[in-house]
Amino acid sequence: MLATRVFSLVGKRAISTSVCVRAHESVVKSEDFSLPAYMDRRDHPLPEVAHVKHLSASQKALKEKEKASWSSLSMDEKVESLCFLLHKCGFGEKWLNVAEEGAADLCACKWLSSLPPVYRIKFKESFAEMNRGSNEWKTVVGGAMFFIGFTALVIMWQKHYVYGPLPQSFDKEWVAKQTKRMLDMKVNPIQGLASKWDYEKNEWKK
Amino acid sequence: MAHAAQVGLQDATSPIMEELITFHDHALMIIFLICFLVLYALFLTLTTKLTNTNISDAQEMETVWTILPAIILVLIALPSLRILYMTDEVNDPSLTIKSIGHQWYWTYEYTDYGGLIFNSYMLPPLFLEPGDLRLLDVDNRVVLPIEAPIRMMITSQDVLHSWAVPTLGLKTDAIPGRLNQTTFTATRPGVYYGQCSEICGANHSFMPIVLELIPLKIFEMGPVLTL
Repeated sequence: MLATRVFSLVGKRAISTSVCVRAHESVVKSEDFSLPAYMDRRDHPLPEVAHVKHLSASQKALKEKEKASWSSLSMDEKVESLCFLLHKCGFGEKWLNVAEEGAADLCACKWLSSLPPVYRIKFKESFAEMNRGSNEWKTVVGGAMFFIGFTALVIMWQKHYVYGPLPQSFDKEWVAKQTKRMLDMKVNPIQGLASKWDYEKNEWKK
Repeated sequence: MAHAAQVGLQDATSPIMEELITFHDHALMIIFLICFLVLYALFLTLTTKLTNTNISDAQEMETVWTILPAIILVLIALPSLRILYMTDEVNDPSLTIKSIGHQWYWTYEYTDYGGLIFNSYMLPPLFLEPGDLRLLDVDNRVVLPIEAPIRMMITSQDVLHSWAVPTLGLKTDAIPGRLNQTTFTATRPGVYYGQCSEICGANHSFMPIVLELIPLKIFEMGPVLTL
């Protein structure tokens, strides 16, 4: 259980597909690539096949009821049918007839828990479910920072054990004399070094 | 010369270099604009909520994004070619210096009005005085007058080298068996540094070029031409 939650920090197929799948509950193992497949995709709203191929008894009964006049459906079933179909196609609550108050409660932002069986026969996940974010970014950022830190350790080791001393010309006095010489030579006097020096006051320009 | 960690171009010491700096600013601005546009388009692509991926038949847009880059390229090419031809203008040089690359030093020949030939070696670290420029200072500099067109004939005695002085906008390959020519006119007196710009062996980084540009009156007095 804990392992599964840990694996949700990883991408959906990063390590062991089956474990990551159990954490994310969205990735499907495919069987035969030549047959039309079901897929939850943002840019493919109505997949070629329904999610559930083999209906159970209660599901079959529900489907029969749907075939008959919809006025025989209860308010809940009717509203749910319309709502979630429109929601699946991306229209959301806007198309809901607000007069049906019961419907308003049902549709208001609680798609995940309230999606009824008829929906789930046709579709595996709602748009909200399939578009949800994950915690993968934390793993990525954390991993990157860890390796950057490790690189810093490597560089510290190199500076201590591998590199020789810096040349004399890096000494403070040498750099000072060198800078004075560059200013005397008027190196880059238009926009560069000498342009930043005030020759009258003998100091850097403010 | 450049200061430590300098990324941009050095200030110009010749009119051609001034032109090159302006051209560089022009081209870089175009580059920044295009990059910004592309990054913006990428950002929009990554953050859109739209989901239609089957867009086709956009002939007007395709025409625009073909013609517009062509125009941009012309706007870059015209100043570029202008400067290119400017460098080849006939300007009747007052002085001709020969510069011969060796492994790993330069030989300079002033043979117009006499016979001055000398070698120019980098100062080894142990020979440096505090304040000297490590890897840049040489024992014998190339002394030249300002505000006079000067012709440099550049060749090599062994392998490929390249004679470069960034502040004058100069870089010319030194090729054995070939004489390359470049001309320049310096506008300011001073000491200008460059480094060999074609890989030539172990000490390729240790054969710099140093020009000392002095007023013509002083040059004519003959500090250079008398050995």
